[in-house]
Amino acid sequence: MRLRVSGQHTGNEYDLLAVVEGGTVASSLPQGNMINEFAEGICNRNPAHTEAPRKGIVATLGEAAMVDAAAVIAAFNAYPRAANATGIPIEEFKLEPTEALRKELQLDALPSRH
Amino acid sequence: MANLFEVAPATIRPPLLSALETAWSHLAVPGSWLTGAQRTAVVAEARHAWNCGLCTERKTALSPYAVAGEHDDLGDLPSECVDVIHRVATDSGRLTQSWFREVLDAGIKEDEFVEIIGVAILVITIDAFADGIGAELAPLSPPQPGTPPRERWERATPGPGWVSTTPPENAGPELEDHYLNGRGEFNIVRSLTLVPAAATQLFGLLDCLYMPNPSIRELEGIDRSISRAQIEFLAARSSSLFGCFY
Repeated sequence: MRLRVSGQHTGNEYDLLAVVEGGTVASSLPQGNMINEFAEGICNRNPAHTEAPRKGIVATLGEAAMVDAAAVIAAFNAYPRAANATGIPIEEFKLEPTEALRKELQLDALPSRH
Repeated sequence: MANLFEVAPATIRPPLLSALETAWSHLAVPGSWLTGAQRTAVVAEARHAWNCGLCTERKTALSPYAVAGEHDDLGDLPSECVDVIHRVATDSGRLTQSWFREVLDAGIKEDEFVEIIGVAILVITIDAFADGIGAELAPLSPPQPGTPPRERWERATPGPGWVSTTPPENAGPELEDHYLNGRGEFNIVRSLTLVPAAATQLFGLLDCLYMPNPSIRELEGIDRSISRAQIEFLAARSSSLFGCFY
């Protein structure tokens, strides 16, 4: 949802299906495929798949960008686990604004939908 | 540990490096419910979970609860603790409230559960960052002596999930900073507040890895080298990979 909000602020439209499907689906983000591969490599604990996107990000966006990307991915190794392990539900005030998005991305079918 | 990422293959912005070092320093010291040795054992087991055959089999099964067996573990923790750590590490998206009830029935206190997952998540997060930048995982620190108080945090109340939490209005000085800027309205910020130290230790790191207040527009006042859209894509994509509805 925050990705869509960011796009609204900057006048960009992003393909949110890429968030769920990943892979080669173009998110229309700059270096979207590369940062997607970086996230998949780290979250799947697959160093062999992390090295190439790491080098690619450093080459195209710089070392500081690679570190910031790794930091965000690391943070989102934590938030989902904390939510999943404690049964944290989505806030009431988010339900209506996210209804269309949840339907579009079929998020209500996730086992962690408490 | 003072020299975490000292030989990192990339320059880490100083506030983030400081937050990582602080988080790492919490892992081997006695907590609210676990000794330093127990916390260190949780750290080691969280790292070991990725090598567990049962977890690998469960990960590919239609339901992880349909696959019985014993975890490949290090032998330093009771089996019910190992199960918590391995499931949170390798397949958290399919945890259920009935599983949580079974954990309690097996003898783990709700408070212990929160501290166990807090420690496990903290080391998983630090290791994920290390993996990302291509650094070696930090060696475990020796456990520090001391006795945890093991006292129930009386300000906690049931909900909003299946674990008790501390509502913002009950914060007190221990959680006052944790709930700054009205972020107590987000349930995730409440998730570990049954054990205030577990919550503040984890979110002290997450605030630097991500941002303290995601409600801001774009990156107002926040120094990052990727765009807000790239940040939010990475956040959402990672959450999706862990099957997280929240």
